[in-house]
Amino acid sequence: MYLIYLTKRLVMLFLVVVTAATLNFFIPRLSDKSPVLEKITEMSESSAPGSVNMQELLVIFNERFGLDKPLLQQYFDYLGDMLTLDLNYSITSYPTRVADMILAALPWTLGLMVTSTLIAFLVGSVLGALTVWRKDLKLLQFFVPVVMVFSAIPFYLIGLILIYFVAYRGGYFPIGGGYSLTAFPAWDWEFASDVLYHSILPGTSIVIASIGIWALGMRGMMVTVQGEDYMNFAEAKGLKSRRVFLRYAVRNAVLPQVTQLALFMGQLVTGAILVEIVFGYPGMGSLLLQAVDYLDYYTIYGIVFVLILAVAVSMLILDLIYPLLDPRTRHHRA
Amino acid sequence: MLAIKDLCVDFPVMTGIVHAVADVDISIGSGKRVGFVGESGSGKTTTALAVMRMIKKPGEVSKGQILLGETDILALSSEEMRQTRLRRISYIPQGAMNSLNPVMRIEQQIWDGIVDHEGAVSRSELKRRSDEAIEGVGLPARVARMFPHELSGGMKQRACIAIATALKPELIIADEPTSALDVITQRQVMETLENAQEAIGSALILIGHDMGLMAQCVDELMVMKDGRIVERGAIRDIFKYPEHPYTRQLIASVPSIGGESFLPNVSATTANGQKQGDAPLLEFDGVSKVYGGGFFSKKGNTALYPVSFALDGSRPMIISIVGQSGSGKSTMGSLMLGFNRATTGVVRFEGRDMAIMKRHEVKGLRRHIQAVFQDPYGAFNPYYRVERALSLPLRRFGIAQGAAEIRERCAEACLGVGLDPARIIGRFPHELSGGQRQRLMVARALMLSPKLLVADEPVSMVDASLRASILKNLYDLKDKHGISIVYITHDLATAYHVSDFVIVLHEGHVAEAGAPKEVIGDPQHPYTRLLINSIPWPDVDRQWGTSASAREETARLMKDARDHPPVDRSAVPGFVLARAS
Repeated sequence: MYLIYLTKRLVMLFLVVVTAATLNFFIPRLSDKSPVLEKITEMSESSAPGSVNMQELLVIFNERFGLDKPLLQQYFDYLGDMLTLDLNYSITSYPTRVADMILAALPWTLGLMVTSTLIAFLVGSVLGALTVWRKDLKLLQFFVPVVMVFSAIPFYLIGLILIYFVAYRGGYFPIGGGYSLTAFPAWDWEFASDVLYHSILPGTSIVIASIGIWALGMRGMMVTVQGEDYMNFAEAKGLKSRRVFLRYAVRNAVLPQVTQLALFMGQLVTGAILVEIVFGYPGMGSLLLQAVDYLDYYTIYGIVFVLILAVAVSMLILDLIYPLLDPRTRHHRA
Repeated sequence: MLAIKDLCVDFPVMTGIVHAVADVDISIGSGKRVGFVGESGSGKTTTALAVMRMIKKPGEVSKGQILLGETDILALSSEEMRQTRLRRISYIPQGAMNSLNPVMRIEQQIWDGIVDHEGAVSRSELKRRSDEAIEGVGLPARVARMFPHELSGGMKQRACIAIATALKPELIIADEPTSALDVITQRQVMETLENAQEAIGSALILIGHDMGLMAQCVDELMVMKDGRIVERGAIRDIFKYPEHPYTRQLIASVPSIGGESFLPNVSATTANGQKQGDAPLLEFDGVSKVYGGGFFSKKGNTALYPVSFALDGSRPMIISIVGQSGSGKSTMGSLMLGFNRATTGVVRFEGRDMAIMKRHEVKGLRRHIQAVFQDPYGAFNPYYRVERALSLPLRRFGIAQGAAEIRERCAEACLGVGLDPARIIGRFPHELSGGQRQRLMVARALMLSPKLLVADEPVSMVDASLRASILKNLYDLKDKHGISIVYITHDLATAYHVSDFVIVLHEGHVAEAGAPKEVIGDPQHPYTRLLINSIPWPDVDRQWGTSASAREETARLMKDARDHPPVDRSAVPGFVLARAS
């Protein structure tokens, strides 16, 4: 029974990935810009006039990147590449491979975004739950309108405010970058602390901007759960308040939040773009923006494909762990 | 053991203070069973909540004293009160269907009560005690390992009893423990509750509105109305010499099988042109329904085995479909309404196959077949005022034009079911009582002057006192408007009085069918007998069921019922039930 379910789920995953990858292939092709022309124009500007034969180079490059083949042929080549995880060469930064560029950028984004999203999720959910549970704490009641305001401000704006006041005027944190120019990337404490130091401002701006979403969502669910009959029975059972809060109220209220979290995780990189640009952070967001700017097909394909995989896999993980959280969604053993 | 003195509970509202409970004096001896009876809003639940100190703000106990043994409940600190709950008084709240935490196993919900009152207990000891508690309410120990959604309504209610009795309290308060259950399950659950209570020697407060249940279960009765106790005494005395008119009304509102009908005995008039053509009004031709069952999943669930009947409709009739929950009766109703498609067979309305109707025909069908549902709380859009809810069908079917005419028709409809339009029409559904809403649902169905009305448990969620008047409304529809009604219920006593023909469904099969005087008055099929034996009689001298043990009797009759062939009683003109081969 479970195997059948898992097989169905995996086939579904495959279909979703192929469909999304197809869209990913055709949408950049709608632009009339040519990535090769952009590349050559840039090359000719940086070399002596007349030394580059534009026409000849265009043909060579198109051939090299397979852009001279019919579109359908290119599409099938692309699908094959993606499914074997061979992400090809970058057009703009030839001869760097796209996979290498992604591998260099991904840890930065994941480290920053995953950590700050998890912090926002945890803190937001706890605060949201407490505002409902502890009506006696006046400070918490004051907290709700404040986070509502913050969740309405886009996080790049919060980032800019932080940069201006905390980094530029205050001088407490670096203005941007992933690590100091003088630091030497290595697996040691010195470099790690430098990276951490640089990630505090961008991380904080993400936490401030998204904490409200989690807090408000949790608050709404807590209000709903409080009206449930099992809360009444829990009180009648004379359970300790702490247990009623954690095992009855929060445990049930957090379920939709977890779904939300999985959806969020899939969109991390998209969310990262603006933050990374504002803070000059060397992650996937900056990389994607650059690639779109030059219409570097293969880099766009590679990054978006990784995103598609991330969304699909995080939904799969959610589907697999959700039954553990909510027994009602468990499949009955035959 | 429990003494309540001059208890007053006040709820401040916009217009002043509502005394939900006023000057209530109660004293309950150890091991006694006491019933609190009254309609919703009479203060019976509020009194119980005061004993639990669980009255929700802004309500508060404004006066009085509650003594549990030597303990002054109202003087306890909140931590002391917490320790008192479950250990000394346990409360089984209304709506046991949702009283269990959906994400915890049953045994975990027994354990947390033990641990929070007795401190750390070893795992094996906890397991032993939870298994004992579960077996003590007549469930197999494996139920302890299950989650609430895996249990039926009756099993959930028993699990709640297991939780409530696990610490052997001095007092158990059960708030309408069987209101959502069918009669067979109700009898078993009540037996379980009584056995558990006797085993631990605690007192029991049973809150309810069913005088029959009270007659069978309690020693003493408190009749409450508007926050006051209007009559009290030993159950036998109250049934013999009811003094307060309200008590008399409560006792009279329980329909009994045989004897005087609570409905006027008017013979049905001929239909006033409701039926057209020669084809029967409603016809089932070998209709069955299977739920689920796809390519990957296992065999589907058969809710209804092939059944064929024809309701002629030239003379209006009330057809009752009775059975336990899960017997397929609601499935039959939704097939009639066209909400569900038959898996096999054909449902015909006035000779036309409902499955192949076109869009505009379906719209016409909606006008001719109307429904009244079980839950008066869920049937109205909470954002629409009554006026809008009532005028919508009028507009949709173009029955009335212009604001004045629509208003007039709505007012007429309200008057028709005994509601004052001036007080009702501008209100939102949540401002009305359950009974008012249920009547509005009847009014809305009636406005379209349908030919057939499907009423699915129309009175199971309203107080006993309202039950009779709503059924009277339905009965009038047949006589005054010539509408045929399909009445789906688990209440055989009302079916006995209102219907012209009764179909007893058992696990999707017709067990017995015929005129109510025969089927219910003199049942032949073991399943029908079981249903009738399970009804709690409002008569203290009559034993509940024919055997002392409900469980044993149910098991025996259920076993007989499974192999017993269907019983056809004498035919009733206007309705033909054919046996599907």
